[in-house]
Amino acid sequence: MAEIKGTIIEFIRENFIMGRSDTKLDPDESLIESGVMDSTGVLELVEFLETTYDIQIDDEELIPENLETLNNIVGYLKTKGVQ
Amino acid sequence: MHHPVQGFLESSSIRYPDKKALIHGNASLTFEEVNAGANRLANLLLDRGLQKGARVLMVMENSMDAVIGYYGILKAGGVAVEVPDKSTTNEVSYYLKNCAAKICILSKAAIRRLDGFKCPISIGPVGSTFSSGQEHITWDALDSKPDTKPDIPIDPHDLAAIVYTSGSTGRPKGVMLSHNNLYSNTASIVSYLGLTEHDRIMAVLPFYYVYGKTLLNTHFMAGGSVVINNRFAFPNTVIKDMVAKEVTGFAGVPSTFAILLNRSVFSKTQIPTLRYITQAGGAMSPALTRRLIEHCGPAEVFIMYGATEASARLTYLPPDRLVSDKPLSIGIPIPGVEITIRDNEGRELEAGKVGNLCAVGPNIMQGYWQDSLETSQVLTPWGLVTGDLGYKDADGFIYLTGREKQMLKIGGERVSPKEIEDAIMESGMVHEVAVISRPDEYLSEVPEAFIVPMDPNDFDLDKLVSFTRKRLSVHKHPKHWNIVRNIPKKPSGKIDKKALRP
Repeated sequence: MAEIKGTIIEFIRENFIMGRSDTKLDPDESLIESGVMDSTGVLELVEFLETTYDIQIDDEELIPENLETLNNIVGYLKTKGVQ
Repeated sequence: MHHPVQGFLESSSIRYPDKKALIHGNASLTFEEVNAGANRLANLLLDRGLQKGARVLMVMENSMDAVIGYYGILKAGGVAVEVPDKSTTNEVSYYLKNCAAKICILSKAAIRRLDGFKCPISIGPVGSTFSSGQEHITWDALDSKPDTKPDIPIDPHDLAAIVYTSGSTGRPKGVMLSHNNLYSNTASIVSYLGLTEHDRIMAVLPFYYVYGKTLLNTHFMAGGSVVINNRFAFPNTVIKDMVAKEVTGFAGVPSTFAILLNRSVFSKTQIPTLRYITQAGGAMSPALTRRLIEHCGPAEVFIMYGATEASARLTYLPPDRLVSDKPLSIGIPIPGVEITIRDNEGRELEAGKVGNLCAVGPNIMQGYWQDSLETSQVLTPWGLVTGDLGYKDADGFIYLTGREKQMLKIGGERVSPKEIEDAIMESGMVHEVAVISRPDEYLSEVPEAFIVPMDPNDFDLDKLVSFTRKRLSVHKHPKHWNIVRNIPKKPSGKIDKKALRP
């Protein structure tokens, strides 16, 4: 689980907050409201999760409960069978 | 008939005092409440010595407070300078210095983001602190101010807003819009969209952007309601909100519709109350437009064209012509606007000939703030030279064929490649740079950078990327980087950007 979280953090740092070392990633904070990701950022993250974990994410699943925070993402991946 | 922009709110608060003007999540405000809040803010600004014509900077995402802020500034006789809420400290400091504002209104997120930003007086949400300058005022200070309208006479030619837009020379320029500019453009849009007090728009576009601002002003003029939703990062939540709030209208740029139609439940959802959809902010692909029309059924789709320099809107395509015989046109001039196609010497061209698209009308800006040189290049005897190339067909319908200037259009926002190039050069790590646009499924275009490193043996791209990200807002960050040995040049020595395109 910790490994999955680390992979996602690395992806987010590399793609969205590179150079903004002041940005802290609180696992329960909204990645949208903190300005880390915008609407296209969410789609980039979804693409990353689909290819990295070989899963299919349906349009219906693109909801805050699954993707809003780091912990939401990790919890959601668990329901998709990613351990 | 001349009215100040805040007259939209004032007149609706008399005609429909108890009607919901703004809806945001579970909260709402009536016209009377918004008007009272704006009066209180105006009185506070006047207490702090705001002079007629003084600029007030706003860094806020869409919110009920942002609407009160906008109309409050206007009621106090000030000029509203709204800038993108995701701007960096460097960018906001530039805007503040350029327009010489002494007061700024910040959202909670802006306060968090703008580390090191300095402004003499700042206003922020209840409970906020900001070590910006002399004084930080929190929103609860409004409670003790009178809710009566301050007596500040407004002339139609007084400035209402300065809107920053990317210039060909790099740094953003301030487009000066008068009360009459905004009033006339708003009235024109209300008329061709047929807006009434029964309309209710879902606003996902930011109010700092002229297109987003027209949603607010047109609905306030008509006595309709504006639903605020800043959650478009999760489009499904917006769609759900559209159904729940029974909206009659929706507005987007091409990327909005690409996301809705490709990665959301939009195409599986019916929104029975939806009466119309507008699209502006760049050309949308015909395929996407067709899918939008097919899905939205009886709702009418308005394709529109405009420019910040024209307060927002210049043309619209009547929905019946979009589906019948003019699917690729940007339409006809909106009421009150005249558009001509001219050659480089200003001679008007006949139908079918491609030339510069020029516009005349009461909505055309007063000029660029403190930049008479740039102003003289676009405000000519034959009107505003938009920088877009196009032609008219025999029926007077206008078609765009390209752009004169090498501007990028990223998710509806105009961005100068030079601004990005300048930020990259500032690093001192690069010998030469060229930024071009690359087509993108969702944002229409994204920046692509070609760089020649100063020292190829000791070059760290990550370091350069992180340097650039500190200086530019997210949407201006190059999405693709190419390290090259040299950049192709024209015989004149200028960079040949066409040669960089595949």
